Amino acid sequence: MYNFIKQSYYVNMNEFYRNIFDALIMLDGLEKDLNIRHFSPNELRVFYTIITQNALNEEGSNITEIVNCSGMSRSTVYKTLKKLSNEGIINLTQSEDDGRESLITLVGNS
Amino acid sequence: MKNFFIVSVTSFVFSSVLWILWHFIDTHILFFAGEGVFFYLPHAARVLCIVYFGYKAIPGLYLGELFGPYVIEPGFYTFPIYITSLISVMSVPLTLSMLNSLGFTLGHTISSPLNRRNYKHIFLITFISAGFNSLLVNLYLSRNNLSYANAITDIDQVLSFFIGDILGTVLVFIFLGLLLKPILKQAQNQ
Repeated sequence: MYNFIKQSYYVNMNEFYRNIFDALIMLDGLEKDLNIRHFSPNELRVFYTIITQNALNEEGSNITEIVNCSGMSRSTVYKTLKKLSNEGIINLTQSEDDGRESLITLVGNS
Repeated sequence: MKNFFIVSVTSFVFSSVLWILWHFIDTHILFFAGEGVFFYLPHAARVLCIVYFGYKAIPGLYLGELFGPYVIEPGFYTFPIYITSLISVMSVPLTLSMLNSLGFTLGHTISSPLNRRNYKHIFLITFISAGFNSLLVNLYLSRNNLSYANAITDIDQVLSFFIGDILGTVLVFIFLGLLLKPILKQAQNQ
């Protein structure tokens, strides 16, 4: 992912930018191991919202909460949830409290 | 000298912004009210700035720790925080020194015992420094009969500081990943 930047700029970077570059590589490694590098920024935003919501509520969160917390449109959230579900990253189950809502849980947390 | 100035300004701004953000979430967003101790965002600034910029980030970080409580929200803490802020900032250099003395020198290649390009190593530093910070700050508070917002300085507070520093740092990493991804993609496409 960083090959272009590495080849073009790394040699000429001053110390400050080299340090920032190392930090970016560290963050990239995190995304690589989470297997989320191929996600678009919008999809990542929804994914990170789900993680945050799951940390706060182990029972999972519903779609309305994800829409409200992510600030994304309902259709974008729906599309992303479908993709994440197809990739086996999240589980979508019907909420017991409200039959119209789906409960989202991270695989391994459910 | 120029690099020291840039590093100091970056560390100061990063630390201050995280404190202001954390304070806003803690006091203005009802859902999180009073629970901010469980996701203390500014610890990420301490870890990231000292790991990536070195010890020259310490003055900027220390000023950043004091700036929020004294300028943005005076009176937020009920006692002078000069010492506790210094302990918090120094928890990361203390961790790096300890790891260094054990043979884990910080570097940026795959052969470095502690590779700053490996997020797992950064998490290790975060974990140990959170331990030092929670223990030493609370030790200072209990020895001097001080408390944060009238909270009792006990083992629960030590644990909540420890968890808060780790969770806060993880949240900032996630946020930075989200923020920087489009910039990196753009650079890659150019």
